[in-house]
Amino acid sequence: MRPNDRKYAQSHEWVKIDGDVAIVGITDFAVQELSNGNESDLVYCDLPEAGRTLAAGETFGEIESVKAVSDLYAPIAGEVLETNAAIEDHLEILSKDPWGAGWIIKMKPERKSLEGLMDAAEYEKFVASKKH
Amino acid sequence: METWRLVTTWNAQPAFNLGLDEALLESQGAPVTVRFYSWKPGALSLGYFQKFAEVPAAQDARAVVRRFTGGGAIHHQRELTFSIAAELEHPLYRGSIPESYVRVHAAVARALATLGVTAELRGERALASEREGTGMCFHKSSPLDLVWGERKGVGSAQRRTRGRVLHHGSIKLGTTPLEGDIATLEHVAPGLQPESFAPALRAAFEEEFGVRLEAGVPDALERGRAKELAERFLDPQFLRRR
Repeated sequence: MRPNDRKYAQSHEWVKIDGDVAIVGITDFAVQELSNGNESDLVYCDLPEAGRTLAAGETFGEIESVKAVSDLYAPIAGEVLETNAAIEDHLEILSKDPWGAGWIIKMKPERKSLEGLMDAAEYEKFVASKKH
Repeated sequence: METWRLVTTWNAQPAFNLGLDEALLESQGAPVTVRFYSWKPGALSLGYFQKFAEVPAAQDARAVVRRFTGGGAIHHQRELTFSIAAELEHPLYRGSIPESYVRVHAAVARALATLGVTAELRGERALASEREGTGMCFHKSSPLDLVWGERKGVGSAQRRTRGRVLHHGSIKLGTTPLEGDIATLEHVAPGLQPESFAPALRAAFEEEFGVRLEAGVPDALERGRAKELAERFLDPQFLRRR
C-alpha cells in the first residue's frame, strides 16, 4: 500500500501538504515505468526555477530515461519554492526513495485543498487498471 | 481493420522534420500517424538532454539540430527515419516503455528480414559498435536496441507528453563518416535509398500491427503548428541550451 498521507494525480505525481508547503514527487509506479526497474536508466531531469508559478496540470519539468523523455506535471496550482537539487545528479534517489528523499519540488499551494486528486486506495485501483 | 495515416516526406529540411514530428506528437485526437522521411542536408541531431560540448562531431558539423527526443546524436545520412505518433493508451504504446519498444522493433525486424537481415534485440550481449566519448547514438546501446552483426543498426527514442507518445527510429541503410563501423544494410542492398526501402517497412508495419497504412498529409492545424515549432529547431539558443 502506498502512503496515505498524500494525494495522487493520474499523471503519477504525488503531493503532500506539510504546513504551508506542498511537497511534490513522482510515484513508485512512475519510476518503474520510466526505468524498468533499473535505477541507472534514469539519466537526466530538468526542474523549474524557484519562483515560477504553475497551474494545475502544467508541465514543470522533464525527465529522461534511457529510452524516453517524459514530462512532469504539477498536481496542484502554486508557486515553486524549491527544487531538490540532490536528484539532478543522482536520479537513482527516485528509485530508492520516491516518497521521501526523492521529492522533486516544494510549492506554495494556491489552495490547501487537494480536491480532484486520488487518495492511496483510489490510486492503487487506478494503477491496477493500467496494468491490464 | 484499423487505419493509420502514413505521411512521407523525403529530403526534407532538419527543422521541418523535427517540427512536423513534434506537431504530430501534440495532435490530440489525430489518427495514429506513421512518418517515413529523410533529411536534406543530412544533419547531425543531438539528443534533447545532450550537452553540445559532449558531442565532438557537433563542433564543426555543417547542419546541427537538437531533437525533442532523448538519447545520443545521430547523423541523418544514408538512413530511413520513421516516427509513430499515437495516444499513450493505444495498444501500440500501452504498458511499459520497454514493451512498446519490443512491439515497434518487431515490425522493423520484419522489414529487415525481407532483405535477409536477422535483427534482434541486443539483450545482454556486448557489441562491436560501442565507442566511448563520441556522444553518438549508434556507439552506445541498451538491451532494447535492434542489432545485427553484433552492431547497433537502429537508433530509437521516445517522447511522452500529454497522454501521447512519439517514437523516433533511424534505420541505417549505409554508414556515415561520423558513425563508422555500425550495422547497416549496405552488405545486403548496396546503395539502397530510403524511398526504396519504404514499401517493405510499410508492409511490415501493416502485417505486424494488423493495420492498414493509408497515405495522407498533415491537416492545416498540424502544418501550422509544425511551422511554428520548426522555428525552435532553427534557434541557436535551443541548440546550445546545454
